Amino acid sequence: MWGFFIALSCAVIATGNVVVALGAVGLAALLVYLRREEGPWGSSFKWSLVAGLYLMVIRLITGILIGVPRPGTTLFTVPRIELPSWLPGIRIGGTVTWERLSSSLSEGLIIASVIALFGAANSVTSPRKLLRTLPTSLYQVGVALTIATTVLPQLVSSISRIRSAQFLRNGKKVRISSIALPLLEESLSRAIHLAQSMESRGYGSSRLRSRYRPIPFKKIDSIFLGAGTTLALLAVFS
Amino acid sequence: MIKFSNVTLLYPQSTTTVIENLSFEIAEGEMVLVMGHTGSGKSSLLRLINGLVPHHTGGILAGEISVDGISTRYVRPGALSGIVGIVGQNPINSFVADTVEEEIAFGMESLNFHPEVMRKRVEEALDQVGLAQLRDRNIATLSGGEQQRVAIASALVMHPKVLVLDEPTSALDPIAAEEILSLLQRLVHDLSVTVIIAEHRLERVIGYVDRILLIEGGGESSLGIPEEVLRHSNLVPPLIKLSRALEISELGINTREVRRATDDIRKALPDYERPTANPGDGVVELTEVRHSYGAKEAIKKISFSLSSGEITALMGRNGAGKSSLIKVITGLITPTHGTVFIDGRSIIEIQSEERSRLIGYIPQDPGDILYLQSVEEECQKTDRDKNLATGTTLKYLHKLLPTVSKESHPRDLSEGERLTLVLAIVLVSDPRIVILDEPTRGLDYEAKEKLSLLLKEASRRGASILIATHDVELVAELADRTIFIAEGEKVADGKTLDVLLASPAFAPQVSKVMSPRRWLTVSDVLAAKRVDQ
Repeated sequence: MWGFFIALSCAVIATGNVVVALGAVGLAALLVYLRREEGPWGSSFKWSLVAGLYLMVIRLITGILIGVPRPGTTLFTVPRIELPSWLPGIRIGGTVTWERLSSSLSEGLIIASVIALFGAANSVTSPRKLLRTLPTSLYQVGVALTIATTVLPQLVSSISRIRSAQFLRNGKKVRISSIALPLLEESLSRAIHLAQSMESRGYGSSRLRSRYRPIPFKKIDSIFLGAGTTLALLAVFS
Repeated sequence: MIKFSNVTLLYPQSTTTVIENLSFEIAEGEMVLVMGHTGSGKSSLLRLINGLVPHHTGGILAGEISVDGISTRYVRPGALSGIVGIVGQNPINSFVADTVEEEIAFGMESLNFHPEVMRKRVEEALDQVGLAQLRDRNIATLSGGEQQRVAIASALVMHPKVLVLDEPTSALDPIAAEEILSLLQRLVHDLSVTVIIAEHRLERVIGYVDRILLIEGGGESSLGIPEEVLRHSNLVPPLIKLSRALEISELGINTREVRRATDDIRKALPDYERPTANPGDGVVELTEVRHSYGAKEAIKKISFSLSSGEITALMGRNGAGKSSLIKVITGLITPTHGTVFIDGRSIIEIQSEERSRLIGYIPQDPGDILYLQSVEEECQKTDRDKNLATGTTLKYLHKLLPTVSKESHPRDLSEGERLTLVLAIVLVSDPRIVILDEPTRGLDYEAKEKLSLLLKEASRRGASILIATHDVELVAELADRTIFIAEGEKVADGKTLDVLLASPAFAPQVSKVMSPRRWLTVSDVLAAKRVDQ
């Protein structure tokens, strides 16, 4: 599934066509609707759509304010700010033409749709599941990533715990440097504990690894992967 | 099963040996408790069993250790994973995967087990610890006791012959701790697993173990049945203290035995009820406090007031809302409903700097608020923060802890010393209320006694003290009043005597022995005896 979505985003970037992008997002939406997974990652398509929309708006605003002038139909004029002469080629404000607007709009749309496709991939298959389907040679990378994703929330809660404790000590604003030492100590001891736990459970003592509940590569996966690759190739060479 | 012969352990850059000339032998299917003061080398000893020390930590090892006939000197811990399973104090730190099943399977994956074997073994392990319903859950969402059971299951799944546990119940409430310990006992009986367990709260484990390995300072150690070892030890649970105080020759290690031995005394002694402290004026006043995080209600309409000179214990299971309540009282969170008044003033109106002088907070891990390079610097900073004359805090600290050197680094202090340093920092300015969050974790009986004395002293000077804790014996010893919360609601609030005696799970050892008499501690019983004379 991930392969399909990656190929699809390649296609979108390669063609740079708004219609293709919209079509791809529509297809992704359909797939997410059909094959969504339960769990925290399931709603990532929705959030990626929102994030994509934000980016599009930002791209549009910067497109209006900053940019290289393009000749064409004038829509409206924003007051222009004079910049020192050592910044040639960039201008802030000025005439906004229809061409400039539409080009920034379509660029924003393409960025947004790539993000949406990424979110859709997450929705359909959680990243953890993806890690489990990786070949065993990539397993170590997978373990590192899994640990990182579990440790991060713990780190955040440690920071807030230490911060509030120090705030209560003297009621003054807590500096980052004073959090750093207790946090470092805790993280180090946590890392040592984790390493000890992994080592005492046999991690790294066998060259071969097996997989608990392996996820087989199904026929439908090959179909999607094949379709995606074809689309991407078509887009690149057309 | 486990054999230590003349084992000595020395860490590099350290002048003292951690373990000196230790020899003992543990048979199959035994449950052995390792006890000793904080810093006596218990953790090192446990990690020697599967070779984490010295293979993983470094250190110089002399002597011979063999586990199931294999010398740990030549085998790395990973290769011993089918023989020794190890469970740490804080299971959350040792988890690799995110769901229960995958965590349990991790060790087998590393050793290239066949998927079908793994499925079968995971199923077995889930059943052994009673977690079958939670198999797909994310580990981070489980309670402390459940997490500990996941850690035990992931060790059990390798079919070890030895299970090593380092303070497995120190973070748990009495009920969850009881569950873990009876689970271990069942494993010993059913599967003949050898269990080695280290624990400070002897009253929790003493009834379960077959033998005790006592590590004393100076390389002394003894291994024997509990009655024998405890006879000479100066670290003893309240039960033994009671027998000693009543001069009973026969030492009992469980409630039933001591109860039988004290039958006459129990009936003969006159009525005595410990005097309750006269609470002074109100310091903290909570009125109909409610707080919710999103849709989840953490505190449901709690009202109470705390008075000066009163020591109050705040008890309840993990996740009952204790931490939220503490955050509300310290002003870290503003409750969604209700008010908090300190000395008649609303907490939100008090400036944060003044608030920190009124409220002394001692976090669960005292190290959280220490970040300077020496004890002296920490004390000087406190003087500046609280506008005290230079040297006040250091002088106060030396009164509490005469032995500490002012040049030493706070991180090098022992657990008990570090707690005392933080207590000095907090108590030096005579705060109106002192709040402690689970202060006795990892403390031995002596350090705990010291803490009790300090807090009693502070409360005599007029502070109101609130302790959130799972430690029933501490509460029995120290608290005048106990507030019990469950699911964010206040379920009991009253004299410690009444609250603790009302719930069998939270009753201290002495009261179990002396029931139906209303005595919680050894000193209560002795006071009754004094009345008699």
